Amino acid sequence: MFLYIDPSKCTGCMLCEAFCSFKKEGAIWPSKSRITVLKWEEKAAFIPFTCLQCERPLCAEACPVGAISRDSKTGAMVVNEKRCLGCKTCVLACPFGGINFDEEKGYVVKCDLCGGDPECAKQCPKGAISFVHPDRMAPKKKREAAAKITSLLEVVAPVKKEEGEVA
Amino acid sequence: MNYGYVGKCARINLSTGDITIADTPEDLMENYLGGNGFGAKILWDETGPETDPLSPENRLIVATGPICGTFVPNAGRVEFVFKSPLTGIYGDSNSGGFLGPELKFAGFDFLVILGKASSPVYLHVEDGRIGLKDASHLWGEDAVKTEELIRKELGDEDVKCATIGPAGENLVRYACINVSVQRQAGRSGGGAVMGSKNLKAIAVRGHGPVCIADPKRFYEVAVRLKKLIMEDEFYPAVSAYGTPGIVSLMNIIGRFPTKNFQRGDFPYADEINAEALRENHFVKDIACYACPIACDKIYGVFKGPYAGAVTRSFEYETLGSYGAGIWNRDLPSIIALGDLCDRLGLDSISAGRAVGFAMELFEKGIITKKDTGGLDLTWGNVESAMTLTKMIAKREGFGAVLAEGVRRASRAIGKGAEYYAMEVKGQEIAAQDGRAQQSMGLAHVTSNRGADHLKAFPTIDETGYPSQAVRRYGEQYLPELVDPQATKYKAWVVKDGEDFAAVVDSSGNCKSGGTFVLAQVYWSEMAEAISAATGRNLTSDDLKEIGERIYNLQRCYNVLCGISSKDDTLPKRLLEEPSPSGKAKGQVARIHEMLPEYYALRGWDPETGRPKKETLKRLGLEFCIDRGAAS
Repeated sequence: MFLYIDPSKCTGCMLCEAFCSFKKEGAIWPSKSRITVLKWEEKAAFIPFTCLQCERPLCAEACPVGAISRDSKTGAMVVNEKRCLGCKTCVLACPFGGINFDEEKGYVVKCDLCGGDPECAKQCPKGAISFVHPDRMAPKKKREAAAKITSLLEVVAPVKKEEGEVA
Repeated sequence: MNYGYVGKCARINLSTGDITIADTPEDLMENYLGGNGFGAKILWDETGPETDPLSPENRLIVATGPICGTFVPNAGRVEFVFKSPLTGIYGDSNSGGFLGPELKFAGFDFLVILGKASSPVYLHVEDGRIGLKDASHLWGEDAVKTEELIRKELGDEDVKCATIGPAGENLVRYACINVSVQRQAGRSGGGAVMGSKNLKAIAVRGHGPVCIADPKRFYEVAVRLKKLIMEDEFYPAVSAYGTPGIVSLMNIIGRFPTKNFQRGDFPYADEINAEALRENHFVKDIACYACPIACDKIYGVFKGPYAGAVTRSFEYETLGSYGAGIWNRDLPSIIALGDLCDRLGLDSISAGRAVGFAMELFEKGIITKKDTGGLDLTWGNVESAMTLTKMIAKREGFGAVLAEGVRRASRAIGKGAEYYAMEVKGQEIAAQDGRAQQSMGLAHVTSNRGADHLKAFPTIDETGYPSQAVRRYGEQYLPELVDPQATKYKAWVVKDGEDFAAVVDSSGNCKSGGTFVLAQVYWSEMAEAISAATGRNLTSDDLKEIGERIYNLQRCYNVLCGISSKDDTLPKRLLEEPSPSGKAKGQVARIHEMLPEYYALRGWDPETGRPKKETLKRLGLEFCIDRGAAS
């Protein structure tokens, strides 16, 4: 399962950040959110961005003490807070900004997929963030793309209706 | 530890450069809740009838509320309070976007700005620190571009701004404050107050938390309210169309002011309605902070003479003021005019109304091309509307007359022009016709900032929403409550709406969200959310009292500024000229059937329109009696 993010559906409301920070930090604290809505206000481009849980996790490879490992149940890369040195090598290694150092805590924090029930996906009001299985993702995306070819649907729809009438 | 509130406020004196940071006063939190209430109390304490709204002595209060910045749905609003240069009385304006939440993340519940900088500056607020920065290079820039330039200058895409455009700099009395790119605190002339202070912008960035007193309960309440809103029967429509969705509805009931309120139905409404917008101009849904609805849209013009115009926060109101109001059926031009107003920093309601007013004077021969500098102000002349709007912002020629607002303009022009000035207490009337919806006529009259729909915001009886009415008020008030022409119960609906709106505008929540437009969130839900956030145990009755207190305090301020019952009236046209066509044909606004009941419900003297002593004592406003505001 992975977080599938569709920026075209994101309205930039920041509810994902608010809920994520609340779940992880107990306060509404967007700067501590594990997911960030990157915004280009003038262009109205909003892209929710978080750890991609890479199959080849550079954060884990870079960690000198093996503090980052994959949770076999959820597939998320998780941080062993006790083992983390706070050396920030993983922060440098990640090409996406998916992991960050928390100054007050003294260790790195990142998205852990909320143990398999990610709050951001649950709370996104527009379905821009979904938690999906790869096998089910491709058909979903295909269907969404196909739905945009409205002329096709318009051709099919009347035929279906006639069939229904006959039945 | 502060919950809901972040606990700090700041006072910025632009004359001296002094900036002081203090704890948010306990009295304000307890008795005035936030935003609207904070502003009203501070304005009362620090200004008065002697204060010239465009002088350094005026205050600009930028305030948030206890749930602003949380995930209570739609809790992203910020309130601006000041003495209005348009009306000369209490003034406020509220905006969505991201500024309010960002101010709290930066550690401040509110800012009080006073004085006047010796040269243009902008305020830079970041994580508990506040500084002034030179804005000479930004002076003259359009309001939208200014935010982009400040973001670049500060090197942070996430800086949130309030800005003014040339109209604010030139002290146009209805200049707006632009918020978060292209949203507006539109009404009452806050932009001119900023301009008078040489304050081009307020730039805010914060990285701190908003803490919650009872996290478990708060989460439960917020998620429940979000679900209620998203399952509301009108959610899909409001989400898809935003406020332009009501163009057709309002036209059907004859409440869509056309040709400066000559009539309430626009024969070409279908060409400028939400469907036409969505079909031809829709670009993207965008949301304010924490909003699951996203009533805001980006609209663009892709071809024709206005190609390239882009607008957001494009509301029903602009389709009214620059569409039907000036007999303009050309939708791309209305988008372009909305965009123009945003960039110039003009309230598109008042600006469009000023243009409509001028067009009617032109029709009636009260003004001619000699007065307008050669402009042909025939109804529907879009190019003239465009030119005149720019002239207003720059105070050029005839634009300088209109820049004063239609009340002052009509007095300067004379020759009977006053009859066509569609305003209450100096504020231009928005796109509602009290002849078609009696409660709305009363709402225009009793609004503390002059003619406005958003103080009482009576939405239930617009076209009659029985299911909403029953849910909110109970079955016993039907059918009159949902009949737009009935006056029974309407005084109460308006009074209750005003108190509730005062609380919503003080909390940081949105009136276009679940509180009024979708009517799911009412007193008890607000009480639950605020209580869980702050840890204060507030009941519905506590909130009602706070709402009443705020509304009465604003009224007392207005009384000091010379307002009495005789100002609680509509333009003669709406009282005496029956609506000539459409569903409201033959109707006039019957405010006098409702006003005595309204005053009685308010505990105000019906003769003077002043709050009675016992009312003020009950609300803990004895200090208003001491200053001579009581009857």
